[in-house]
Amino acid sequence: MSNFNKHETIISAGIDIGTSTTKLIISRFSLRNVAGATHVPRIEITDKEILYKSPVFRTPLQDAVTIDVAGVQQIIRTEYDKAGIQPSQIETGAVIITGETATKRNASEMLHQLSDEAGDFLVATAGPDLEGIIAAKGSGSYESSGKSGQVIANIDIGGGTANIAVFKDKQLLGTCTMHIGGRLIEFEHGKVRTISPPVERLLQDQGYTLQVGDPQNASAVSFVTTYMAEAMARILKKEVQAQDRVLLLGHEPNWLPPIDIIVFSGGISECMYHHTSGEVQIARYDDIGMQLAEALLQNTSLQHFTWQEPVETVRATVLGAGTQTTEISGATIQIAPHELPLKNIPIYQYDFEGNLDIGLSRFEDAVQQAVTLYDSAKEGQNFALYLSNLPYLGFRDVQRLAKEIVQIMNKRPRPEQPIILVIQSDHAKVIGQTLAALQVKQSIICIDQINVETGDYIDIGNALTSGVVPVVVKTLTFHTT
Amino acid sequence: MNEDLIQQITKMVVEKLEAASSAQTIQQQPTNEQKVELFSQRPIGQLEVETVKKSPSGAVVFHSTTEGPKRNISTVKPKPTTAYGNPKTKPQDNLEEDKLADYRKKTPARIGVGRAGSRPKTKTWLQFRLDHAAAVDAVYGEVQDDLLEQLGLFQVQSKVADKEEYIRRPDLGRKLSDEAKALIQERCKKSPVVQIVASNGLSAKAIEENLEDVYLSLQQSLNNLNIDMGTTFYVDKGRVAVMDDIGELLQPDVVVMLIGERPGLVSAESLSAYICYKPRHGTIEADRMVISNIHKGGIPPVEAGAFLGTVIQKILKYEASGVSLVQKEG
Repeated sequence: MSNFNKHETIISAGIDIGTSTTKLIISRFSLRNVAGATHVPRIEITDKEILYKSPVFRTPLQDAVTIDVAGVQQIIRTEYDKAGIQPSQIETGAVIITGETATKRNASEMLHQLSDEAGDFLVATAGPDLEGIIAAKGSGSYESSGKSGQVIANIDIGGGTANIAVFKDKQLLGTCTMHIGGRLIEFEHGKVRTISPPVERLLQDQGYTLQVGDPQNASAVSFVTTYMAEAMARILKKEVQAQDRVLLLGHEPNWLPPIDIIVFSGGISECMYHHTSGEVQIARYDDIGMQLAEALLQNTSLQHFTWQEPVETVRATVLGAGTQTTEISGATIQIAPHELPLKNIPIYQYDFEGNLDIGLSRFEDAVQQAVTLYDSAKEGQNFALYLSNLPYLGFRDVQRLAKEIVQIMNKRPRPEQPIILVIQSDHAKVIGQTLAALQVKQSIICIDQINVETGDYIDIGNALTSGVVPVVVKTLTFHTT
Repeated sequence: MNEDLIQQITKMVVEKLEAASSAQTIQQQPTNEQKVELFSQRPIGQLEVETVKKSPSGAVVFHSTTEGPKRNISTVKPKPTTAYGNPKTKPQDNLEEDKLADYRKKTPARIGVGRAGSRPKTKTWLQFRLDHAAAVDAVYGEVQDDLLEQLGLFQVQSKVADKEEYIRRPDLGRKLSDEAKALIQERCKKSPVVQIVASNGLSAKAIEENLEDVYLSLQQSLNNLNIDMGTTFYVDKGRVAVMDDIGELLQPDVVVMLIGERPGLVSAESLSAYICYKPRHGTIEADRMVISNIHKGGIPPVEAGAFLGTVIQKILKYEASGVSLVQKEG
């Protein structure tokens, strides 16, 4: 039975497997009932303590297109040992495959192996947008955007990509990802060893030639870093030019207000600020990273913005993954413990627009659309129905709603699958109980006070002692909470 | 005067003001009308203020009343109305306004409402009066019989004769009248696991707005958990501790009392659920527990009912409530 008054702790792991480096972080969250004694409990994470930070490892690769899964597992195993943690102790957290590593051939295979190996916790594959958001949370930019009232852009530059996330007052305003990173040109013995395809295209467009085997100090190399810094400044000012498109990965910048403050995080920012200079360096780099950092520091257009030093440099993403991805559901929810944990559940949002009658009249289409969207082959991919903007509900309204939910859920290709509901307002317990009273045959997972939308994926962890569940929302699309 | 009429007029005025304030921005443009001086800014006539002058102690100085020291009376110069003097204040004001709007979102308290001179603005003041009147109405109002009939509740009285006595004599509100005791004996199931009681307490409005949703949701929750329920009834003008009398009469394991809270200026329709394990004469207050703030703007009544079911389940498991429950739970 749930005990809301006990102080509870959970262990969270964050693992970031990036283009050049892999790192891991173990932290402990304290959970507490923050509502007054006479109120319905509200469980929140009240404290986060970092227990262990791993060194920065070079990401093990078998070849250019394959991650060395055994190598990654080896790193994780030895680091768990050093931290004194058993995989079974870990209840939440995220593995994030970032940058170019995510495009490697066996990325998804590795994620599955890791989630079994590294503990029964929650796994997030990051899209470039989510990656930027997580880095901004780890670097402290997100937090400070809530204090200054100014528009802050966090620019996380690693080996393969630069992920920009723009915040104001802790609201996400937009994102953008670019092919700017340290490992886009690699060297060996003072000569060019590899050139990544986007850089090759850029050189071609601009009329430069650079080939494998050319000397490290070729003018084309310094042209690339200088151009990247210039292009970065143009993107931040939203003055995208046609020739910059070659460096864009995905959409163009989509924030509206002009940026006031810029924060650099990621490996390149380590080259600027040297936060970890005292540590033993395990990874060695032989690429344009240092030169790129220098080019960004020297660029006059970037001086137009106010610069702010990040709290974390190279570990911003892993810190964000380990400490900032977990949310806690409302305390009054209805769950079927044997169905948990649930992973990678796509969300289908249904907006009632504050009117139950109109909302219910079109309710049936919701399932049809969700099925078309996520299970077009009717293979039985389940989804979570997110009910937003419900009007004020009386008990009879709840009954009507519950009956409709059962009806439409029975129209899924595999109706016996659990009914997963996420409710925006504080109604999960009563809706869950009403479904139970209707004696539905499916298991019911009904949680509330989590903000999601169509296109998001969620992982729901095992129920904790206080009865709440940890939830990781994987935002793949742009939205504000 | 007719109270309804007063309320209606006040409402209309508030609405008018709201409509006017949204249109205000357009009206505020400066006009080129000729300045009308209602009063002179320069003082006229004899202007003499006697001041105590600093002087060595004991020294007395007389000063002439006709040839006093010249006092410079400064007239207030009008501030420049061009953008010259204040180009930066505009965004600053907006920032402040944004912040206030942010604060207002977080609390129903009357913050950042501005002022007119040393008093609140008329709109704020009327809103305050309206809320206060709603609170008074909640205390003096009565629960409609058809609501109780709909839910199948019968009604009994405490020992209180009328509202005035109810307010002056809390002790009488904690006792059932003799007729009430007889009626309860006659109509209620004895020794139920859970006995639910409703009472208007200090807000009839709270019962009217929330009782149905909380009660039906709680009933469903108890049904789901297979917890046996007694015969629910309504106590007019009851206080929380009237549950002790009920406990003695019916010997239930748990009493849940749904009672209207003392109304405030934020909400006049807030309901509380007081819960106690085996309340009897002599039960101490520390053994009662409460889920408060049940209303539209607080805990949704339907969710509160669903939550109460699990609280009761826990009380039954530990055979304790209130502080004793916390101690047993460890």
